[in-house]
Amino acid sequence: MRNSSFRKLAPALTVLAVLAPAAPPLGAAEDRALTLLRDQIRALEQKLLVLERKQEIKDEAAAAAPAPKVTVNDKGVTLASADGANSLRVRGLVQLDARLFFDDDASIVNNAFVLRRARIISEGTFARRYSFQLVTEFGGGAVSILDANLGVALGQGLQFKLGKFKSPLGHEQLQSDAWTFFNERSLVTGLVPNRDLGVQASGDLADGRLNYAVGVFGGVPDGASTNNSDFDNEKDVVGRVQVSPFRNTAGSPLQGLTLGLAGSIGRQKTASGRTAGYRTDGQQTFFAYAATTVADGASWRISPQLDYRRGSLGLLGEYVLSAVNLRPSATGPKTELQHRAWQLAAGYVLTGEDSSYNGVVPATNFDPAQGTWGAFEVAARYASLEIDDAVFPQYASAANNANEASAVGVGLNWYLSKAVVFKFDYYQTRFGFNAASPAVSSAPVLRQDEKSFITRFQLTF
Amino acid sequence: MKAKLLSLAAFALVAGASAKNIELLNVSYDPTRGLYSEFNKAFAAHWLAQTGDTVTIKQSHGGSGKQARAVIDGLQADVVTLALAGDVDALHDVAKLIPADWQKRLPHDSSPYTSTIVFLVRAGNPKGIKDWDDLVRPGVSVITPNPKTSGGAQWNYLAAWEFARRKLGGDAAAKDFVRALYKNVPVLDSGARGSTTTFAQRGIGDVFISWENEAFFALKEFGADKFAIVVPSLSILAQPTVTVVDKVVRKKGTAAVAQAYLEYLYSEEGQDIAGRNFYRPAVSATAQAKYAASFPQVELFTIDAAFGGWTKAKQVHFSEGGTFDQIYAP
Repeated sequence: MRNSSFRKLAPALTVLAVLAPAAPPLGAAEDRALTLLRDQIRALEQKLLVLERKQEIKDEAAAAAPAPKVTVNDKGVTLASADGANSLRVRGLVQLDARLFFDDDASIVNNAFVLRRARIISEGTFARRYSFQLVTEFGGGAVSILDANLGVALGQGLQFKLGKFKSPLGHEQLQSDAWTFFNERSLVTGLVPNRDLGVQASGDLADGRLNYAVGVFGGVPDGASTNNSDFDNEKDVVGRVQVSPFRNTAGSPLQGLTLGLAGSIGRQKTASGRTAGYRTDGQQTFFAYAATTVADGASWRISPQLDYRRGSLGLLGEYVLSAVNLRPSATGPKTELQHRAWQLAAGYVLTGEDSSYNGVVPATNFDPAQGTWGAFEVAARYASLEIDDAVFPQYASAANNANEASAVGVGLNWYLSKAVVFKFDYYQTRFGFNAASPAVSSAPVLRQDEKSFITRFQLTF
Repeated sequence: MKAKLLSLAAFALVAGASAKNIELLNVSYDPTRGLYSEFNKAFAAHWLAQTGDTVTIKQSHGGSGKQARAVIDGLQADVVTLALAGDVDALHDVAKLIPADWQKRLPHDSSPYTSTIVFLVRAGNPKGIKDWDDLVRPGVSVITPNPKTSGGAQWNYLAAWEFARRKLGGDAAAKDFVRALYKNVPVLDSGARGSTTTFAQRGIGDVFISWENEAFFALKEFGADKFAIVVPSLSILAQPTVTVVDKVVRKKGTAAVAQAYLEYLYSEEGQDIAGRNFYRPAVSATAQAKYAASFPQVELFTIDAAFGGWTKAKQVHFSEGGTFDQIYAP
């Protein structure tokens, strides 16, 4: 365009140039006029050049303008607008388990292949500020809506979430199902709420050194999720505060230290007990309330938590005290029962990658042709759950329930890539019984230590 | 002897088999193309000699602010070498790609070389430009990039502001001064290199407010007989800054080589390359002495002293509705 414009002007300029020497000597007035003319031509030329350059810049900007992006990687399939303000993402999680139990009672049929989780996860962001998540669960024998929530981000320090999502209490419970050290979460998770309906405010403060989440929820029993409705008048307030005081202190050995305190308080008035049952690492029930038990009154939980990451090493610890008021029947006397659990787990990435609450990212993927093997992580855990002795005999039978379970677990995780993982775990759980329990439990699974070997093939993206 | 030779051959075979090919992406700002073309070759040779690994460094250049935005939006930069700390801060503030204290991780506030702002004028300086005041005279056409997208342009803007504040007294007068200056700007390019094209190749404007290194580049590239550098009475100490992008290098497994890459900017060879490419070496006394004559003496002020640091300066001047938005109407 620039050259063509010059071509248009060129004849006029040439005529001026040719005529100038042929003209008779100029007087002062003519000289001034010519100078003025030259200045005007120069000014016009500058204007023309500016217009052309502006168009050139405009054309360059249009050519360089980012197009909407389609990304396919280990974070799923993402469609994003050019400016990143709007996006839609589809992710997935599939976990296929093989469970093998050793030395258990011959009457128990528990060795199995289990489609533990099979999820399609849809997420999106609109105008940077508004987001949603919809998680459909196809694993475990029934199709269900696992999460369905909307988010409004007013800034790093204040975000709202409304709908169905994980209640902000259990540290390991809040970790993604794909990235826990072990295939199954510890006994502690039995005492904290899972997914619930509610509204939550959360955010990062003090440059990320302080994180908080607090919300009002329908209130679900220990280890349980809401069935997508909450018709009672009682609600739970649930919250957690985490501090990472050295998070931004590069080089400090405590940079990866996070301490947390979580709790819930509310009232429960339900037609059933506080939980459908507490389960072992092998997912066998070792305690369940009598069918006549009802919850009626205050319930609260408190949970100090610890998370520490330094290079390949990861540590996770938490303690939960869960209290509930129960009646043995709708008209029976009320008792407050307090159950306790704790765990300490550690993981170490043998291949040198960083341990992370959000999963290990292998430095290289498994590729025999290249001689690369992905990442290997070993893990160990001790956990214990203690049922309040006052539960027997009114709220549960001592004959077929344990009142304590203590479990040791060791595991090996092989990350073939970020998306594909094999996990191999061995758990051994020892049971404790109330004084009123018979010498041999009526429940076959409680007659010996539970020794289980659980392997998992996981695909997540 | 035979056994020794066999051992050596086996060692060489193993070493050869284990040598890696590594690729880094350096996301930088507009005028550093020449600097990093030369530096990348030097570092690759250094790394090969030190580790046996081959490292290839890809470069990406553009307006500093735009480049930071691209990294925030997912461009997988192992390192960023941007025009100003404020743009690097955004990587932490917006996307948490780096820690808040990133600037403390390398010497000299992670600024291995510095520069300043000068004027490039046409040969013979036909408009008689000597200092910042001359840029607001009617009829003087000024070329500078858009401070919304260019780090260099922000340095320019702030240098003009501080000059006016000292000379005229107060921010209100400075604001009027800078408004008048931008009235004389006919074209806003998105980056410094674009402005060089506008001024030097397209022949637009009487004066180009330029990075010092970019002004020297124009003399070298387009001919010292065509342009001249004018050094104003006051200018700003421009500190381009560098950092590893932690989240990316962790994912790619390139943390060690990316760190070494940036540290090499502080080596004698790195500092010499900076000087050779018209950047003021920040730490090497040898390089500083070698190139001292190349750089004019000028009174320099710092962003921290005059504007309270980049966070504040960006908020006041370049944020949505900030002073630039108030004074500039295209």
